[in-house]
Amino acid sequence: MPRKPNSSRQTRALLAAFLDRSQIWRHGYDLSKETGLRSGTLYPLLMRLSEQGFLESRWEDAERPGLPPRHAYRLTARGLALALEQEMEVAVSDRAGATA
Amino acid sequence: MNAAPSRWRRLAIKLAQHASWVLPGAGPWAEAMRHELDHIADDAAALRWALGGLLASYRARLALSRCFRARVRLRSVGTIGVLMLVIGFALVGHASGQPEPLRPVFDETACDLPGVSPEIRPRLRCGTVSVPRNHDNPGVGRFKLAVVVVKSAQQPSFSEPVVYISGGPGGPLTIYADHQARTPYAPSRDLILVDQRGTGRSEPKLCPELDSALLDAALAVATDPSDDALAKRRTVYAACRAEAVAHGFDLKDFGTSVTAADFESVRRALGIERWNVYGESYGTTVAMTLVALHPDTVRSAVLDSIYPPDPRPMHSANVADALDAFFGYCAGDQACAAAYPDLAATYRETVSGLARAPLIVTVPPEMHLPDDQVSLTSTLFEALVSRLIYYPTAYPSLPRLIATVRDRDSQGLGKVLSSALAAMAAEVNPSTHLAVECRDRPHHRDPLPAGASVLDRLQPYGVCDDWSEIGPAPLVPIGTAVPTLVLAGEFDPVTRPSDSQHVAALIGPNARWVEFPRIGHNVRAFSPCGAKIAAGFIENPAQSPDTSCADRAAPIRFLPK
Repeated sequence: MPRKPNSSRQTRALLAAFLDRSQIWRHGYDLSKETGLRSGTLYPLLMRLSEQGFLESRWEDAERPGLPPRHAYRLTARGLALALEQEMEVAVSDRAGATA
Repeated sequence: MNAAPSRWRRLAIKLAQHASWVLPGAGPWAEAMRHELDHIADDAAALRWALGGLLASYRARLALSRCFRARVRLRSVGTIGVLMLVIGFALVGHASGQPEPLRPVFDETACDLPGVSPEIRPRLRCGTVSVPRNHDNPGVGRFKLAVVVVKSAQQPSFSEPVVYISGGPGGPLTIYADHQARTPYAPSRDLILVDQRGTGRSEPKLCPELDSALLDAALAVATDPSDDALAKRRTVYAACRAEAVAHGFDLKDFGTSVTAADFESVRRALGIERWNVYGESYGTTVAMTLVALHPDTVRSAVLDSIYPPDPRPMHSANVADALDAFFGYCAGDQACAAAYPDLAATYRETVSGLARAPLIVTVPPEMHLPDDQVSLTSTLFEALVSRLIYYPTAYPSLPRLIATVRDRDSQGLGKVLSSALAAMAAEVNPSTHLAVECRDRPHHRDPLPAGASVLDRLQPYGVCDDWSEIGPAPLVPIGTAVPTLVLAGEFDPVTRPSDSQHVAALIGPNARWVEFPRIGHNVRAFSPCGAKIAAGFIENPAQSPDTSCADRAAPIRFLPK
């Protein structure tokens, strides 16, 4: 059976990080630290999820003067649904594992 | 605070900069990665961050560039090698400072086209080319365009194919691949067919659920161009716009300049160095812009039934001139003049008669109209005749149709009306049509001109301001070195022959203008002579074509009363 799209370990980790604070705009480096994903893995995922409409992005002024603006990301409604669905699957499969 | 950056940080900055050059399109994503670097305090972490971004950029680039991947045989090089190479590039710096534009890719797919006959099928290559929604900001998503390559029947074919750019704006094309393959533009040349963005099998669909409501609203305006009908049309367009925006579409991503850039992407994806551009109707608007912007990629251009950029005469004035020319021809034709003396007066009489009392016409049930009836009002009749004058196939029966309606005989009218309406519905996608027109043509934002008729009211006056901002104007390749052939129909209701000739004069000494008597809009489709001249010109653009067959066009064989 082909694997479900957006179900790789890295994508799940990223979606879970977004879901933790789903209302907050997140930055690349913070997400990298939180998920342990390196930039080379993280950005292609961010791009793909954005292209698929799961993430929205915006530019934010830096908190400190002299620094460039930062790109920030947040789950869209669709993205939230996808992240929740994956969380549920994890929860269900954990339970299934427990009863087996 | 402003201490000089360390060596590692400088390297990280260089790598990040290089990553943004390498990343396809160098859009906001590359910038995002680069900016993030300044927010990482630790130098080693910053360097790791930049290296990761660089690898991601190269991976994205290689994934897009299949040919490159095939040539380099990446597997044998190995990641470490690539990495060293990449760092080397970054340290040396980027000579041009600008990224080489990435070659877009033709993704071949199965040909799931309707109505393709077994003998044509082996000659078709179908696929898609993914283009940026916004060519100036390629990071914000893409559209897949449907592309069909029709291999020339005669092999081997020449390396410079023909790209046919169809009209509308908003008309589908690739679904007609079978027909196009049977009427080639030039022997021994492949033919490229593209569904322009928002048309046919290409993305996007702006408001698919509302397309029939848009057509209904247009029919309502044609039947009775009251303020109420116009307000209703505005409401449907507003709903369409809301739906498109809700789906994340930016209505600035339409217009001739965007479409021309799409064709450039398709050309590069197919690995074509130069092609012959054949534009028809609105396709000439795209073709002229393409020639103006990318003359080195065009071997020759044919502009069939030109649709020039603004400013243009009012649509109703063009139609009136075409009808006058047609009525004048009838007056000079013995059979027509005998059967329909003063056809121009008969037409005026018919219009005023319908204005007093519309004629109820029964239409086939497939039209799904209430009670299978259409009220043929004066305005709907004018709109109908303004369509029929496009098609030379309608000319022999047009005088009889006018006389029949004048005599209030509705028999047989249902078929004509329904086929004209069906043709209108099949010809263009109404939302894409509007999306392109609103970007291209400032006159839609003006108030309705004085003397405007129903034909002008059918144009999108009063809709564009709420739809999108005006975009870059379509271009005329003034003084181009590209050999250009301009074909004009005597009865063309879109552009008068004299205006077409004026555009040809603007294009300059390399443009050749030919008028075709007794032809309307779209010369090649209706004139074997026009098709022959165009094919001869594409074969040898440097040579002045023999246009004598245009003067030997057969007279119209009018149907008797």
